[in-house]
Amino acid sequence: MKELGPLIHSFWYLLRGAGMTVLMATSAVVPATLLGVLLALLHVFGGWLLRSAILGYLFLIRGIPLLVLLTFVYYLMPLTGIDLPPFWGVVLVISLYYAAFVSEVFRAGILSLPQAQWDAARSLGMTRRLMLQIVVLPQALRLSAPPYVSLCVSLVKATSLVSIVGLWELTMASREVVERTLAPFQIFIGAAAIYFCICYTLALYGRHLERRVLLGH
Amino acid sequence: MPFDPHFIARLIPALLEGAKVTVELAALTMAICLVWGLLVALAHSTRGLLGSIAGGYIQLVRNTPLLIQLYVVYFGFSMAGFGLSGFASGLLALCAQNGGYVAEIYRGGLQSVSIRQFEAGRALGMRRRTLYTTVILPQVIARVIPPLTNQSISIIKDTSQVAAIAVMEIMKITEVWVETSANTYDVFLGAALIYLALTSIAGLVGKLAERSLAFAQ
Amino acid sequence: MEDTLNDASSLAIELAPARQRRPMLEIAGLCKSFGALEVLRDVSVVVSPGEVVVVIGPSGSGKTTLLRCINLLEEYERGTIAVDGEPIGYRTDGRSGRRARMSEREIARARERIGMVFQSFNLFPHMNVLQNIVAAPVRVRRIERRQAEARARELLAMVGLSDKVAEYPIRLSGGQQQRVAIARALAMDPKIMLFDEVTSALDPELVGEVLAAMQQLAGDGMTMVVVTHEMSFARDIADRILFIDGGVIVEEGKPDQLLFAPQTERVGAFLKRYNDRYRI
Repeated sequence: MKELGPLIHSFWYLLRGAGMTVLMATSAVVPATLLGVLLALLHVFGGWLLRSAILGYLFLIRGIPLLVLLTFVYYLMPLTGIDLPPFWGVVLVISLYYAAFVSEVFRAGILSLPQAQWDAARSLGMTRRLMLQIVVLPQALRLSAPPYVSLCVSLVKATSLVSIVGLWELTMASREVVERTLAPFQIFIGAAAIYFCICYTLALYGRHLERRVLLGH
Repeated sequence: MPFDPHFIARLIPALLEGAKVTVELAALTMAICLVWGLLVALAHSTRGLLGSIAGGYIQLVRNTPLLIQLYVVYFGFSMAGFGLSGFASGLLALCAQNGGYVAEIYRGGLQSVSIRQFEAGRALGMRRRTLYTTVILPQVIARVIPPLTNQSISIIKDTSQVAAIAVMEIMKITEVWVETSANTYDVFLGAALIYLALTSIAGLVGKLAERSLAFAQ
Repeated sequence: MEDTLNDASSLAIELAPARQRRPMLEIAGLCKSFGALEVLRDVSVVVSPGEVVVVIGPSGSGKTTLLRCINLLEEYERGTIAVDGEPIGYRTDGRSGRRARMSEREIARARERIGMVFQSFNLFPHMNVLQNIVAAPVRVRRIERRQAEARARELLAMVGLSDKVAEYPIRLSGGQQQRVAIARALAMDPKIMLFDEVTSALDPELVGEVLAAMQQLAGDGMTMVVVTHEMSFARDIADRILFIDGGVIVEEGKPDQLLFAPQTERVGAFLKRYNDRYRI
């Protein structure tokens, strides 16, 4: 608080860390979204075997902390001999973790569509595939968008956990700087401010989407 | 990797010790947040400076990672002179963040009670206190229980992050045991199972609470 | 092209002797239950081409369910339904009496030629009026987009909404949305139109415009099955009225006869209650 010096000197370093954070988050969000949408569709339309499997998967993700999974993979990787760069290892874990949440959000979007929409589409002679393509999915995507953006914010924050297993991004960068400068207050608050900028922007976009959804329906 | 019963016999008590800390931390956080979140929600509902500060607080804790908040409290405070133990820091940070989320849950619960309920009560001649206690509050309570249950599950999972500041809860103990033994799988399996058990219990408690208050709906 | 063919076939139907005309809709022995509750008991109806049949009855009588069974929005346990001679939903082996459900594709194809308009309009909110109307013709019947859009504009003109082509449903009144819904159903060139209490959710002043559109449709020779509460409309438009109560057709007959000189007590009681409140 007294001296912002250390923060100012290392700000550029922290920003590079933020760049890595954004890179990690974006790399994880894409597979998480694709997988999540797929799982949601399988969950709603699939047979009992698929649904049971997905429910099991959701139960595990819902009940086990992400940090446990990250640490598990961190210790597991060298043992299995798979030569995966750590970056992609953690991105994979984060993707699989958040795919569960994306699928639940998207499934809620599909289910919240009034039965009347299905009736109308069916009465016009649409096959299930066509119904999904032009009536159900476009609306479900719009309805799911605001909570989906919240998940994205959550994902960005979750990237901070990879610092615990030794990967470099904003949190790790700030820890390094603190070790050097012994000014934890300023540095960590500085890092918090950077996270805030990224996440709050996303949150504002989410609120904008929410207003649009409310108006459109 | 072999299933070593002697190892398991030593592992379980150690993990359970960690579970005690986890439960203590999570329960205290939830208890405190129920009250603190309510205060924040009430503050947020007022206009003027208090409302803005409360709003700013909520946005701040929602858009910064818990880990950074932990570091600020643990390392920052000690550097500033009033050092807190790992457990206390964890409690403070967890309450700070979840207080914001709980406040939003209360707000959502109140908003979702239809304005007609207010109008009906007033039309019947009820005064403010009666209206709130007999009509509005039971409905709000019924509506906030599911999201609060989810929040408590989230809190249980978040306690894993205090391992980063050396609190001996489940995650930290897992880490220690994995470092010092070769049975990686068993340790993680044990940790995962305990977390699953804790979160499932929290979920069940929530469902019971929902049902016992179902008459309000 | 399609239109000329339809005109020709309608002409052929009118010229053909009455007894050679195939019924447009044949329902035989329809039975449906929701769990333990029997909603439809052995209902049989025959509708001739160009006929307008109005179905009335108290709430819960099964009239909406009857309509929804026709295009298989509801499943049913027994009975056969055929539209223009083609069975829909289930194929029943005449000899063994066993029935097999038609495939999803076959059912979807059959639904193409049955138009339905719902109580809650059911327009697609993420598409504008024009897109709503052409979506099915273009994607289901593979009609060329330009042709479909031209037909859509014709239909919109017919229901009096030419100026609303690019509007989104949220900007339209209930009556306007319902007329768009009618246009949307007509765009598929159906052989028969089903109307499920289409004015029940409308403000009274908007009901008239929808009924006018339906009158015009009836005048053009469309086969229609209409479930409604509007008794005066029933009298104006119906060739035949069916009274359903408790899942059974209690009485059927020409409007003037059924509405003013009912033969069964139940119908009389129902109409009296209605008269006391609204006066036909």
